Amino acid sequence: MAPEALEMNALLGRVAVNRDRAAFALLFSHFAPRIKAYLLRLGAPAAVAEDLAQEALLNLWRKAHLFDPAKASAATWLFTIARNLRIDAIRREKRPELDPEDFMPETGPAADEGLALADDEARLRLALKELPADQIQVVELSFFADKPHSQIAAELGIPLGTVKSRLRLAMARLKRALGEVE
Amino acid sequence: MIQHHPPHGGIAHHPDDELLLAYVGGAADEAVGLIVATHMAYCPACRLRAGRLEAIGGSLLEDLSPAPLAAGALDAALARLDQVVPFERPRRSASRDGTPEVLRSYIGGDLSTVRWRQMGPRLSYAPLFRRGAVSARLLRGTPGADSGAHSHRGLEYTVVLQGGFTDATGNYGPGDLQVMEDGMRHNVVADPGEDCINLAVTTDRLKFDSLLQRIAAPLFGF
Repeated sequence: MAPEALEMNALLGRVAVNRDRAAFALLFSHFAPRIKAYLLRLGAPAAVAEDLAQEALLNLWRKAHLFDPAKASAATWLFTIARNLRIDAIRREKRPELDPEDFMPETGPAADEGLALADDEARLRLALKELPADQIQVVELSFFADKPHSQIAAELGIPLGTVKSRLRLAMARLKRALGEVE
Repeated sequence: MIQHHPPHGGIAHHPDDELLLAYVGGAADEAVGLIVATHMAYCPACRLRAGRLEAIGGSLLEDLSPAPLAAGALDAALARLDQVVPFERPRRSASRDGTPEVLRSYIGGDLSTVRWRQMGPRLSYAPLFRRGAVSARLLRGTPGADSGAHSHRGLEYTVVLQGGFTDATGNYGPGDLQVMEDGMRHNVVADPGEDCINLAVTTDRLKFDSLLQRIAAPLFGF
């Protein structure tokens, strides 16, 4: 993982274990403005984005002991927190989430699969930066537009089939970056 | 008995990248989210795929240009930390029949406790919730039960929870996910053996071929 990502993971560990406020402040300064930007991209009013960014970081403090650096980076974990908060607060829906009870020991990801996930993140990040502009656009919209691909296509003024094929090409490239065979 | 641990590689039908991305990115509505999450409860491969898609979300978040917060936001957050109660997972009784937890919260218990409503000699159903035109329900058919030929105005998502069914597109067993798109027509027949139980989400009303079913379907909310 990138040095900065490792540092964020370590700070989150310090919050979980030592309730370290200085570590929290650093995480806040790094992530709260990014989460606010994420919510603004999704069309949240500025005041709501501000409140939810604050709320997301308080959730980090509340749930830090659940963070597992073998499974995801701090950024990925915070993305899931921000995503769920938004669905809950803005869309007023529940997000059906897998329960840890559903990860049966014999079917759950093995410990080494988890480690691989954390390693994958750095490679994914590099591969994302190398996607052609039209592909990164549809990938980004999958995260930053609260709408189905059919609607995304209509708004971009391109056929749905084109959106789907760009997405397919992007996913194939990302899988190759992870060393997966198609 | 619900088969909750299909043999390795037992799941043949998975969500495509677009559907999984809709769930991971947060665009999927609650009913479609329930479909994907229930499939994932059966499918370690898709849990891994979803983890990787979440990492894309993490990367995109990391690379957004920061939107500064109001002056004093950090101090306000620090001042609230002492009131924050650490999160604890709610305690729940374990499922007795292997019903995925994510689904139990919608059923209000195990699959074996569902109160089925009969809609024919071999078919029964239990509504879970409805949001506008989107409905989530459980469907149950005895072996050999036949849905009748129907097509779809919107989309129909199905995850098999027990038993299995077959239609022109293939055979589906526990954990398998089927998406029927707008205008696609099929006729589902429950496999021999135990009753087939599915989680089904429809985004619009179904269109049945037979006149009797066309009359009866709205009575059952289909």
